[in-house]
Amino acid sequence: MTIQISSQNEFNSYVSTHLFFLFSNLTEIFPSNVISFRELFEVAATPKSQQKPDAMDSITLVELVTMKDKEIKETLKLAAEQAEIQKTIDELRTEVDKRDAEIKHLQKNLKEAETILSTAIYQAKQKLTAINQANNRKISSEELIKFAHRISASNAVASPPTWMPGDPRRPYPTDFEMRLGFLGKVGDLPLNTPVLQSQGSYGEPMSSNRNTAQTEGTPTSSSAGWHSELGLGASGGNSQILADFKGPKTESEDVGFMSSDSSSSSLSSDE
Amino acid sequence: MADAGENELSFLSQITDVLKSIDKESPDVNQKMKELKIKLEKAREFVDKMPGIQCSKTEQLKQIDILRNQLTYKTELLEKYKKSDQFDLNH
Repeated sequence: MTIQISSQNEFNSYVSTHLFFLFSNLTEIFPSNVISFRELFEVAATPKSQQKPDAMDSITLVELVTMKDKEIKETLKLAAEQAEIQKTIDELRTEVDKRDAEIKHLQKNLKEAETILSTAIYQAKQKLTAINQANNRKISSEELIKFAHRISASNAVASPPTWMPGDPRRPYPTDFEMRLGFLGKVGDLPLNTPVLQSQGSYGEPMSSNRNTAQTEGTPTSSSAGWHSELGLGASGGNSQILADFKGPKTESEDVGFMSSDSSSSSLSSDE
Repeated sequence: MADAGENELSFLSQITDVLKSIDKESPDVNQKMKELKIKLEKAREFVDKMPGIQCSKTEQLKQIDILRNQLTYKTELLEKYKKSDQFDLNH
């Protein structure tokens, strides 16, 4: 195919500008094709006289272009095969993703179950420890009931069953009861009253009081006076204080609770 | 898809038109070149959209093997844990 061109310079420059733009796009896709296209157009657009000496023959270029076209078609077939393979890959990926989601779900459930079980086991172990402790230190139920009675005897734990609003009884010593007690009556005692021998716990006379009994109610013997005062009002006030108490009083040594009030000890001796 | 590809990626007719217009020195050269340019752009877009051409066929087949192995392994793992009813209570 021979091409005779006698175009003007402006035409050539216009065509070559367009060719350059076109070729820059082509180079991104079909590098080898571009070269053949470009050379073909250059040969077509350039007059024979201006052609480079090493420019290829137009026939060769056309053959090259047709060969490239065939290559493109073959490559398209390969691309179609690869597209089919890609479909398989995508399906496999979807299945793998499903399995991943199931595994994560199962893992989450297992973790929850582990947490719940570990909590339950921990609590069960604690209870077993408590059971063993209780079995090692056995207490008879009668003793427990006895202690319960003592604790609740003063009605400090719960009100008496017959208590109603307006009842003057209280779980603590009231003003009236305190005045009726020994301490309330101490102020009424005249100064010349002989100091009686006081009783310690269990009713035995205290050795310290034998010395103080010789003195007469001096302010310096305050400790002795405290003991004597205790002995005085013990029997008087206790009957009032005990008016509201329920249940029998038993020996305090079994209970082991501290009682600074010797009135209770004298109570036990009275009982 | 092969037909669509052939249509999108065949430039011979366009090139022939351009050469003819250059030969005839017709004012359609510009128009023909523009048409060729548009066809090339469409061809580029078509190629970009084509699935599976990012890697070679060999790599694709390797990928398939890997995915099949993963699928088998994970399916077995799931079956194992769903059917398993023994737990180590010593821990």
